[in-house]
Amino acid sequence: MTTLPARPAAPTYDTPESDNYLTHDKGFLSWILTLDHKRIGVMYTASVLLSFLVGGIFALLVRTELLTPGRTFIDADTYNHFFTLHGAVMVFLVIIPSIPAALGNFVLPVMLGAKDVAFPRLNLFSYHLWIAGAVCTVVSLVMGSFDTGWTFYTPYSTTTTAGGVVPVIVGVFILGFSSIFTGMNFIVTIHKLRPPGMTWFRMPLFLWALYSTALIQVLATPVLAITLALVAVERIANIGIFNPAMGGDPVLYQHFFWFYSHPAVYIMIVPAMGIISELIAVHSHRQIFGYRFIAFSSVAIAIFSFLVWGHHMFTSGQSSLMNTLFSAISFSVAIPSAVKVFNWICTLYKGSISLNTPMLYALAFLILFTIGGLTGLHLATLNTDVHLHDTYFVVAHFHYVMMGSALIAMVGGLHHWWPKMTGRMYNEKLGMTACTLVFIGFNVTFFTQFMLGSHGMPRRYYDYQPEFQIYHVISTIGSYIMAGGFLLTAMYLVQSLVSGKRAPANPWGGATLEWECASPPPYYNFHEAPKVGEPYDFSNLKWDERGEGYVTVKPAEAKA
Amino acid sequence: MMSMLTMLTLAQAADGPTPPTFWMPTGASAHASNVDSMMWWINLIMWAFLALNTVLTVYFVWKYRHKVGTKFRTDGPDHNGPLELAWTVGPLLICIVLFIFGFQGYLDVRTPPKESYDINVTAYKWGWQFKYPNGAQSDDLVIPAGKPVRLVMRASDVLHSCYIPAFRVKQDLVPGRYTYLWFQSDFPTGMDQPTDGHHLFCTEYCGTGHSNMNRRVYVLPQEQFDAWTTKQANWLDEIPEEELYWKAGPKLYARCVQCHSLDGTKGIGPSWKGIWARVSGGEGSNGAFAGGSTYSGLIGAGKQYATAEDYIRASIYNPGEHLVQGYGNVMPTFKGQINDKGIDALIGMMKKLDEFDPKTGAWLKTPPAAAPTASAK
Repeated sequence: MTTLPARPAAPTYDTPESDNYLTHDKGFLSWILTLDHKRIGVMYTASVLLSFLVGGIFALLVRTELLTPGRTFIDADTYNHFFTLHGAVMVFLVIIPSIPAALGNFVLPVMLGAKDVAFPRLNLFSYHLWIAGAVCTVVSLVMGSFDTGWTFYTPYSTTTTAGGVVPVIVGVFILGFSSIFTGMNFIVTIHKLRPPGMTWFRMPLFLWALYSTALIQVLATPVLAITLALVAVERIANIGIFNPAMGGDPVLYQHFFWFYSHPAVYIMIVPAMGIISELIAVHSHRQIFGYRFIAFSSVAIAIFSFLVWGHHMFTSGQSSLMNTLFSAISFSVAIPSAVKVFNWICTLYKGSISLNTPMLYALAFLILFTIGGLTGLHLATLNTDVHLHDTYFVVAHFHYVMMGSALIAMVGGLHHWWPKMTGRMYNEKLGMTACTLVFIGFNVTFFTQFMLGSHGMPRRYYDYQPEFQIYHVISTIGSYIMAGGFLLTAMYLVQSLVSGKRAPANPWGGATLEWECASPPPYYNFHEAPKVGEPYDFSNLKWDERGEGYVTVKPAEAKA
Repeated sequence: MMSMLTMLTLAQAADGPTPPTFWMPTGASAHASNVDSMMWWINLIMWAFLALNTVLTVYFVWKYRHKVGTKFRTDGPDHNGPLELAWTVGPLLICIVLFIFGFQGYLDVRTPPKESYDINVTAYKWGWQFKYPNGAQSDDLVIPAGKPVRLVMRASDVLHSCYIPAFRVKQDLVPGRYTYLWFQSDFPTGMDQPTDGHHLFCTEYCGTGHSNMNRRVYVLPQEQFDAWTTKQANWLDEIPEEELYWKAGPKLYARCVQCHSLDGTKGIGPSWKGIWARVSGGEGSNGAFAGGSTYSGLIGAGKQYATAEDYIRASIYNPGEHLVQGYGNVMPTFKGQINDKGIDALIGMMKKLDEFDPKTGAWLKTPPAAAPTASAK
């Protein structure tokens, strides 16, 4: 086991290829006008992380204000602006693009063994649209910001005196097209650029997830765009569409909005599930359990996602019959979600588990998604939802799913592919510590909020009854712990760029194609077209002491 | 387990409201026990699956930990049809059962009995108005015990939502529509102490004062309730004209205080400080309006409002017509909520603002005769 048979020209370790995608061209323009999916992915990642910092600061301001009932340090209007900005930034600028556009862009073509996505120019355009959307948000801040909640419910959003509503609506409209173009690109890429030998059922599960996500992006996002355009028309031209004072219907707005925004939840969580399938399989070094069930459950979730939007409206004045139907269909989402969780846990069974930072994030996901998913039962059940609707219980539930699951998966994926993207390893000990801090902080923050909600504390409240204060204080302390964890993450990741160890081509022992090219990958990803094998067959991988990574050996040698 | 739940339900019916638990607040309505036992079952399912998943995950990670450099195991199964089918069908069955019970409970929440007692509710930015069949009005909700009560609700500006945690009920109020909410509470709360009654919250975000729309719900025995509504319907009429401004004024001002200060602090609306001088040609009467007009340009003989009183009444009934410079069109109309006698009381208060506490609006003088005791809520 200690000595390996001599191999011809050992690949990339200790003398990394000097010509990789990071060094291929130099200068600002070579980045901002690049057609290389890897650079676009890296720029998306940096932009999304920056937005995450901004959204996170708003979250901390909101939590700090809630330390005491009444005024702590800001007034009610400022608070309303802050929680709105937190929600809008996190949803539209961070979570929706975080996995597909940032990590997906980098990983998807490499996993396919392709040179790039199908439409590189459209891909760059998507990123430029994202920038334009972000600029609109900044313009909105300058023009007086907005206090509508990220949901823009009418008639409040069409009558509020806050000055930045129209610019941010334009921004979200543009971001929607960024998302649609990425989705189209991925659909075509997966259909057309799969290498010979990679049938649909030999695709890595992350690609199944990205494919399902792309379908939702393309089909649902246009509805949001039209809806927000109508809100802008009502504000600017005073045409009554949603405002009853002008003959409109505010409940119609809610239908339009949630017809997009419920599927949007799955734009966030389905790719996260894809990442988790990769992380658990790779770090357990074992064939994923129930590949087909996991793949089909992604597609099932994508389909169900279009049929459940009405569960956001159980108390809106929607008819009892509709509520009943939407309740019944909403439960159906629980089934594929449960299937996935059980399959992941069974993948651990008789695996060879390396407990490192990405895997720790995947395990955190398993617990947090279990809680997030199961509390969905309280909300899909009609009579309990009537009590819990629009309380902190809902806030806690969707943070468990959107942050505790989607974002944690994103951060886990970032750690998983960080060596590939940057060519550097980060400090494992600090990575595990930060993950633990985030996990503890998250639960302290949000589990408390389940109890706030079930005891009757409504959401979006600046002031509250004194009996709720203890929960708010605990929750705020949790948010500070979590912030500490993310700060530590930022520090060791930056440090790894400066002085991190060189990453081997395959640090974790993954069997999908992205681990066959060098870290960081060459400009064209592969010098010669890679041979497609089973994505989760780890039997040909061997640990190589010298490179501190895994290398692929011939089956005969692996048995030696 | 079932017997435990049944006992809980019976105890509630016999003794009074259920006490707060780890998860739920006090329950004081017929729905409450229903919702609470549903919560209890779903929580049980949640804890069971959470424990199962966590224990399995931690155990597998420990048991199958990998030592770097050793060979990977290859003996793990890659699928198991019957097992996977089981954990598809199992959760499905659980979901079907939950749906059915949730649906049953929901039908009860949504179907008011025919003989219910109706109270009209209007929500506005940022307050509530409750109107009783005999014409009585109140800012807090008062209901008779042991009788189904139906709220007939509407909103006058944006979306609001009426939420009474102790009753486990909630319903949005939508401008341009009527919505219903019904409940029954058998346990009187009294209404004398600050801690009496239950919370009533607005749970649909509606702007600056959203979190200040919390009110109390008082449950009174039938006779006490009848007496209260009778007194409440007539409270303004019973006050003699000369006592009107200090007796009724502060009470009515309680609906204005969120936006209009008395001490000159700029709020959502203009402060009342110096208002009478402004509208009657005194200091500040050149104050500008959004359209370019001024107080003295609008008020006076031959102008749009012949008297200052006309202007005040018009500002309360049709507040959007003229906006003081620097303020938005935010105030709802109080037409049908404050009658002429109420307007008189407010105008009287505005004329003698120095007799009132600039922070609370409480009258600072002592009544000339023996202090009257009638204090209608």
